[in-house]
Amino acid sequence: MTYTSTRTTTRTHTATYLTDVIMGAIADILADLRIDLTTLYRDWAQDENAISAWIEEGSLKEVVLECHQPRGTVAPVIEFPIAYKASGTGDAEFTASRARLARFRAKLDRVPAGTTYRLFCTFNGPHTNQPGWSPGSRANTQGLRSINYGTLGSAPDASASMRYLYR
Amino acid sequence: MQRHRDIAAAPRRSAIATWQTITDLVADTLDRSPHIDRADVESVMATAATVGLPLVAGGHLDQHPLTLVADPVYCTISTVSGTAALSLEESSNPVLGGVQATEFVLHLPTPEPLEELVRAAAERSPHLSADPPSDLETRAEAADRGVRGGGLVDLEALTRRRAQRP
Repeated sequence: MTYTSTRTTTRTHTATYLTDVIMGAIADILADLRIDLTTLYRDWAQDENAISAWIEEGSLKEVVLECHQPRGTVAPVIEFPIAYKASGTGDAEFTASRARLARFRAKLDRVPAGTTYRLFCTFNGPHTNQPGWSPGSRANTQGLRSINYGTLGSAPDASASMRYLYR
Repeated sequence: MQRHRDIAAAPRRSAIATWQTITDLVADTLDRSPHIDRADVESVMATAATVGLPLVAGGHLDQHPLTLVADPVYCTISTVSGTAALSLEESSNPVLGGVQATEFVLHLPTPEPLEELVRAAAERSPHLSADPPSDLETRAEAADRGVRGGGLVDLEALTRRRAQRP
């Protein structure tokens, strides 16, 4: 007689996992840049719920973290693009590249005191409305150089990577 | 009583749900004490949540545990993230010894780059600390001596008895 065990992962698991990876990375980056995290904590629930819901429905294209410096410069900008996998084709593992994030943080440009941040989400198409989120305009990123830092987190149905835009 | 608990984080739980599970574990443990008010514990955990959420979401608690010190309770609490979280068997029971506790301190880890944030949060409550438990090694050594020596179980005697078995 043989026995087998199965574990069912769902798109909800993928959404929960990648949302945590992205939110955790944003918190680490803001802390590293010494940008006040008060609003990140205050809005954590609504942001976590919204990002997770949009990943689960497959509409989220990327999460964008903009750093707004006191003199008006918007830099750096960190983008977290989401790549979706056809159902069943993804690795059934949930992995995060924390070491890659740590190496990335070590190379971040410093920002002056008083720098604030804004979060944006962009979409592949139609998406549900989520509490606390409204249409907004991203800063112009023309003239910024960019570096791709590869995959930050991977799950069975999608993965999140990281792109760094700087002056 | 040294104990350790692993709590499943993402993908099984979001950071908020994970922190709530940790809060419930700490509150349920200390709620057994006639000297500690559950509402006070929950208030402290809410204060700690400002750093608890980044610590959970960033995977920091996977490597750097929280430590609840409420003599005789001495419990480290870690998270398990990633694939292993889905198959983790958790114990949701209160940690033994809570009934005897008269005071408590939750020691928060200070991993980079969250150290400054953690220290700021710890200053908001006398029940939070950003320093490691000062007597961690002493207690560990004492517990170790207790088990090997005049404690509940004499491991050396057990080993000798096993060796004498046919």
